Amino acid sequence: MIKRSFFALSKPTLTYDLLNPDLADPEAIPIPGTLTLLLPEAIDSTKKALFAKGDSLKKGEKLKLYEDSTVYVLSPVAGTINALDSYSDDFGNTATYILVKPDPARTAPEDTAKITPKENIDFARDYLDHLPGALPFARLAAAGKSISTIVITGADADIISSTWQYTCTAYAREVEAGAQILKRMIRVPRICITIPEALTTQVNFGTLQVLKVSDIYPSALPAMIMKDHMDMVLPPGKTPEDMGVCFIRPEALVSLARVFKTQEPVFEKVITLVDKTGTQRRIKATMGTPLSKIFNRMSVHINEMDRIIIGGPMRGFATFTHHHPVTPEMDMVIVQDKEAIAELSDTPCVNCGKCIRICPVQIPVNLLVRYLEADQYEEAADQLDLESCIECGLCAYVCTARIPLYQYIRLGKHELLALRAEA
Amino acid sequence: MIQMNGTKLIVSHAPFWHDGDSLFKMNLNYVLALLPAAIFGVTQFGGLALGVIALSVSTAMLWEAVINLASRRKNPIGDLDAAVIGLLFALMVPATMPWWVVVVGTFIAVVIGKFIFGGIGATPFHPTLLAMAVLMMSWPVYFDFDAAYVAYEFNHTALAPLAALKFQGISATGLFSLGDLFMGQEVGGIGSTFGIGIIFGGIYLMLRGYTRWEIVVSFLAGILITGGLFYLGNSQAYASPLFHLFSGYTLLGAFFLATASSSSPVNLIPMFIYGFLGGFMIILMRNIGAYADGTVLAVLLINLVNPLVDNIRPKAIGKGVPHA
Repeated sequence: MIKRSFFALSKPTLTYDLLNPDLADPEAIPIPGTLTLLLPEAIDSTKKALFAKGDSLKKGEKLKLYEDSTVYVLSPVAGTINALDSYSDDFGNTATYILVKPDPARTAPEDTAKITPKENIDFARDYLDHLPGALPFARLAAAGKSISTIVITGADADIISSTWQYTCTAYAREVEAGAQILKRMIRVPRICITIPEALTTQVNFGTLQVLKVSDIYPSALPAMIMKDHMDMVLPPGKTPEDMGVCFIRPEALVSLARVFKTQEPVFEKVITLVDKTGTQRRIKATMGTPLSKIFNRMSVHINEMDRIIIGGPMRGFATFTHHHPVTPEMDMVIVQDKEAIAELSDTPCVNCGKCIRICPVQIPVNLLVRYLEADQYEEAADQLDLESCIECGLCAYVCTARIPLYQYIRLGKHELLALRAEA
Repeated sequence: MIQMNGTKLIVSHAPFWHDGDSLFKMNLNYVLALLPAAIFGVTQFGGLALGVIALSVSTAMLWEAVINLASRRKNPIGDLDAAVIGLLFALMVPATMPWWVVVVGTFIAVVIGKFIFGGIGATPFHPTLLAMAVLMMSWPVYFDFDAAYVAYEFNHTALAPLAALKFQGISATGLFSLGDLFMGQEVGGIGSTFGIGIIFGGIYLMLRGYTRWEIVVSFLAGILITGGLFYLGNSQAYASPLFHLFSGYTLLGAFFLATASSSSPVNLIPMFIYGFLGGFMIILMRNIGAYADGTVLAVLLINLVNPLVDNIRPKAIGKGVPHA
């Protein structure tokens, strides 16, 4: 954890970590006795589910809860469904856990669901939405032809992370091949790749346009890349897709290239594991592997009141169970000792102004938080730029009163959407 | 099944890192920065000064504890905010201040100035200054520094510089050398005389990022520019800007009072306006107004305009851009 410097006349700067030039292969985690698949749809007991406990699965079999469901997962192994359970995230969004017991004996060709990859968006949406790296095909399909630029994020968005740098460096050829497939698939005119400007490992990305990103956080966040490199300012409440730009992980393209090469879905996800001492280790795990199995394998011991962070220290989320599975968008897992967890408080804002100095988009955070604390979401959006927030978390990082500012803002945006949906 | 009853984890929200700062650290640094002035005050004015400081800090914290207990709120004295209010109060009053005035002063500061307005972060006026203003109106006799120190023997002119200037005219400024004023060889509040100590403490706080340098710099600029214009206009009638700078509460006001977080602006241009206005008002009050010092009222006045000027703020990036 980077502490406040003794002299703090100017605002503090957080810098991104650079990839270690030694591109050692990730350590492979064997497939555990049970895999947990996270399907982002809640169980609805009034409808008839398409699968149930005890069903036998092929490797790569598509699992959809109901006939009219739009979301699905692919089973990474041949095996049987052991149990179904419900899951809810920190905003109360519900999902379904599908527990699959792999059957290592089933390796025959007929135990793998064959696919014939086609270079069109409908096929991708139907079969490739669950690739490691989470290629957002559903979003791409919804945006239709309006996507004019794809940005491959070779520069990690969060600090200390190097997973994206690693995948785009170690698998550069596959990233390029995947980019070409994607280009033909959605006919996008422009594909760029972001790379940290200080990255010493030079890689040739062929025809991809390279955008060099500064090492100062949050310059690798989508809104900042659009502002600094594409001369586009994200209007409040808009997503990059609304502006015709789609950001994707390099690993998604690696997965895409492999699917077309092997004619089979792929399930191996590269993750960076950061233990309590801050040591980073690169691992490769099958999607659905519970984190507890990874911790066991890597001898990371989890104690009571520790924190498991999925994603980076500035923008990730903390899970409540160490059985949380590896998912397509999981890039980094950080284990934080309970002693290292900074205490938050319910003290009101004292107007020290540090958030104002550090906010990259000039939001009046000191005033905004007063409105958010009072549930004045509409006013916060109209007058105090709630929706301009790019969610970098820097305000909460420096807050003297230790107010969970970033959470207030996320909650505010969430409530605002709910209010507008009601209206 | 997934075992939800396994190891209990802390589930909180991003960011998971913090720069380690806290209100306690901020206020502790305020106390540290005020120590040189306070210690000098004790050496200058003796045990009585120490007594006033101790009484002021302790009663300020006591009032905070009592009022929060009475209103069944979480007791916040651990953040040292009341201690800073009490310490600043002690440093502004003479060492011979009767004990009951100190107790009443900290009551006004903490209970009325801070708690009634909504506690930490919600004080539109600096609590210490509010108490000072009320007391100066109610019992002006106790703020007469010349009367307060009649029993003392000093090696320097035993007159409060600003009162001397006000009542004896410009010739009185000849009694004080700038070096003496700078080194605290003057009569005044316990901690308001030691110019160099206040400056060092103030610069320390600015470097640590606990006070906003923009306010301090523009406040000092307000004093020097306004005072300089008066002086240039008529040096026979008005004291030099440096005399104003090193006398009275000016330095305490610039480095510690005007900069108090919750009653000062946070945006760049407002900080400059706010600070400059403070210095400007002090000189106006001293040169034209009825008050000898004016710092207390000038800072309260800029506290009042703070919410107004702080509306001059940059637009958030992306706001107002036509949809491309």
